[in-house]
Amino acid sequence: MAQHAKTLPHDLGAPEFVDRWRARALVIGAIFGALGIILGFLAGDGWNHFLRAWLHGTMISFGFCCGGMALLMTQYLSGGKWGLLVRRPLEAMTRTLPLVFLYFLPVGIFGMSFKQLYLWSRYNTDPWGAWKQHLISATQAHSIYFKHPLLNPVTFWCVSIFCFASWWLYTHLLNKWSLQRDADTAPNVPYWQVKFENLSGFGVVFYTLTLTAVSIYWVMSLDVTWYSTVYGLQFLVGQAYGVLALVILTLIGLSKAEPIKTIMRITEQHDLGKLCFAFVMLNIYLAFAAFLIIWSGNSPEEIPWYLDRVRGNWGVVATLDVVFHWLIPFTLLLSRDLKRIKGRLAVCCCVMIFARCWDMFWLIEPNFKDAARNLHFSIGILEYLTVPVAMIAFWMAYYFTNLKTRPLVATNDPHLEEILEPEHAHA
Amino acid sequence: MAIKEPLNDPMLDPVTGEYRVIAPGHTFKSVTEKVSRIVLTSHTPVGWWGGLAIAGGGVLMLMVALTWLFLKGVGIWGITIPVAWGFAIVNFVWWIGIGHAGTLISAILLLFKQSWRNSINRFAEAMTIFAVVCAGLFPLIHTGRPWLAYWLFPYPNTMNVWPQFRSPLLWDVFAVSTYATISVVFWYLGMVPDLGTLRDRAQSKFAQFFYGIISLGWRGSVRHWTRYETASLLLAGLSTPLVLSVHSVISFDFAVALLPGWHTTIFPPYFVAGAVYSGFAMVITLAIPIRKFYHLEDLITIRHIDNMGKVMLVTGGIVAYGYWMEVFMAYWYSASRWEYFMMWNRMFGPMGWSYWVLITCNIALPQLMWARKFRRNPTLMFIMSFIVNTGMWFERFVIVVTSLTRDYLPSSWGTYKATRWDYMTFAGTLALFTFLFFLFIRFLPMIPMSELRILLPQAKIKAKQEPLPEAGD
Repeated sequence: MAQHAKTLPHDLGAPEFVDRWRARALVIGAIFGALGIILGFLAGDGWNHFLRAWLHGTMISFGFCCGGMALLMTQYLSGGKWGLLVRRPLEAMTRTLPLVFLYFLPVGIFGMSFKQLYLWSRYNTDPWGAWKQHLISATQAHSIYFKHPLLNPVTFWCVSIFCFASWWLYTHLLNKWSLQRDADTAPNVPYWQVKFENLSGFGVVFYTLTLTAVSIYWVMSLDVTWYSTVYGLQFLVGQAYGVLALVILTLIGLSKAEPIKTIMRITEQHDLGKLCFAFVMLNIYLAFAAFLIIWSGNSPEEIPWYLDRVRGNWGVVATLDVVFHWLIPFTLLLSRDLKRIKGRLAVCCCVMIFARCWDMFWLIEPNFKDAARNLHFSIGILEYLTVPVAMIAFWMAYYFTNLKTRPLVATNDPHLEEILEPEHAHA
Repeated sequence: MAIKEPLNDPMLDPVTGEYRVIAPGHTFKSVTEKVSRIVLTSHTPVGWWGGLAIAGGGVLMLMVALTWLFLKGVGIWGITIPVAWGFAIVNFVWWIGIGHAGTLISAILLLFKQSWRNSINRFAEAMTIFAVVCAGLFPLIHTGRPWLAYWLFPYPNTMNVWPQFRSPLLWDVFAVSTYATISVVFWYLGMVPDLGTLRDRAQSKFAQFFYGIISLGWRGSVRHWTRYETASLLLAGLSTPLVLSVHSVISFDFAVALLPGWHTTIFPPYFVAGAVYSGFAMVITLAIPIRKFYHLEDLITIRHIDNMGKVMLVTGGIVAYGYWMEVFMAYWYSASRWEYFMMWNRMFGPMGWSYWVLITCNIALPQLMWARKFRRNPTLMFIMSFIVNTGMWFERFVIVVTSLTRDYLPSSWGTYKATRWDYMTFAGTLALFTFLFFLFIRFLPMIPMSELRILLPQAKIKAKQEPLPEAGD
């Protein structure tokens, strides 16, 4: 029996319950923010852990925002119906860039300019003098000296500001043109397609390069001696992993009401689940390959980075990282049924987002002398629970605010007709 | 806003503005006739005979080179100490890489529902198998005693000798043999419905018998189709990790060693991307003359060439990123004098010319593919495919040879010069590949008829439009 094609509802705005999501996010942010400040006063090591946890929260929020931009450009390049579903949530993520910039400022000011996070910023002017005073090792002194043209306050700020400015330009254009495209009543599909492809083609390349730069400056340089050529690519894939999980979670939440209820078919949900699965595999592939190469090489220049992260209590954290990051999502997403059942897919996405946070903790904290080779439990370490949760909650609140400001469905898209057809209509 | 460009070309979809996957006007019958006629015709084109003869001559040259090798040993090659790996490993990696496009097209693009793959997946899969055949030859003959090649496999033996399981060379054995097996099964399984069609349309008794046997009793019943679809998806699922794993394992041959220029964490993804890059280049090299010679422009359209150009841009971009990261880390970030020297030696050492050839062929010239007009021009894309494959061969040459000639100890430095036997063996495998491909396009359906038919508009069921609801509904 032939079924009728569905039609879009008249109101394409986000449903009322998004306001409730935002309110809850704000409450969570306020509670955890307050706890983070209290812990800052209580912790024996002052505000050190607060700042490290702040960097953690910044990197996660930055991943959602700019990773969302990368995925938005990717869907313009790849085409496909899934792009229509995810476009508006991704656009809302990209519009959180001002907040991410605000998050970054304390990292730059306190972490780098006030020399609280980055070892190289502390001994930048005289690394060999610091070595003579036994403040740093000879390897560290050599690395700081060698990398001085790159790792210095001026370059740090210039690169960071340049990256933020260029990302802002991209998010601005992507969002502006998207609205213009919807308002265009003429049959201009090829025109818009080419326009977005031109912007996104170069944009993806540019983003990959700038992300590599900031991942090196903001995170990798926490350990000044270590380097890995695949680091930027791992960040890129990791961001896509987290963004996909968040966008699916958002869509599942929004699908309780119109307009997403109408356009989110099981087929596209399944496709998004498969894409998620692909990124789960890609993520572990890059991580494992890097580990295997460094572990096999076993050279004193490289292996300490892993030893810092697997010795002592870090062994538990590293094992759980594999479990959260790969084993659980991999096992769950293998199931066809799970990808097609909203509730279960949502659980999987929550695990994936948690895994990103867990992994970021594993990446950041062992860079510091007091945490390398063994994770010591202290009040300060609890900052990693409170500060990032507060920051992500505030980021979410802003994201939900952005979600409310535009229709949830881009109407001027050739895939709209297909997505409104009943599921079995395609051979 | 005004419409920017009128779409007068019938090959363009008026709604999306994209080139069509199949030219308008085709029916189920016309697609079947067009493809099956190439195989079932009794008049073999003269051009085909000419091509086969030239390729056959090259295969004879390969035979001569191999016979001399077996008589004299690997000393006839240019390999020496410290360059114990020369052309053989370069060619092995290059050929394996070429095979990757077939697996990507048949497995990953199938899972991603990329319908444009349907016209090109069959000969891309065939290309994979023939490329793996050529690739597999090199480690076999490089062992020096190929008749003992079975020692590579871990089997119980009276000497109680086992291969080194921690060596990536052993991982290669498993990776490549699995890859070859799955590729052959996938290729053959995909052909079964078309072989059934050929059996039913064949006029000669021999053709009926031959295609009858290899079509495995295909009847085209619902049950057969259901099982066929399930098996295809399962094999696609199995093949997908192989796209990543095979060339990653090959990259480990280099990356797990502590040689400057080899030991770098970006090798696995950049090897995989490079493999797909060269593989798609080879698909273009094959597709463009085939569509011209057999007048298949309406089945292998500009859309295919354009899309393959886009895939090459992406994978070429990842390769370029890999090169850049190596340079960045070596010169500015590693703080390692060994890494610094390795990169300087690559760029400006005795074999620095080869590095600049690869940069020109793999990075500089392919940037032309950013232009749509370039990607949509078959002649230019054909030339570009040769450029990229040349560049990808040089990439492997640079990695293998420049790193081996100058390692950590200047006292052990050496040089490398390939001999005529190296060149003859490589050229011979090119001929073998072409020879096998000529046989394939003559005797098997190079375009999947069954998969093309489902792309036709008449295969789609459109839903009826529901009347718009009243306001407030």
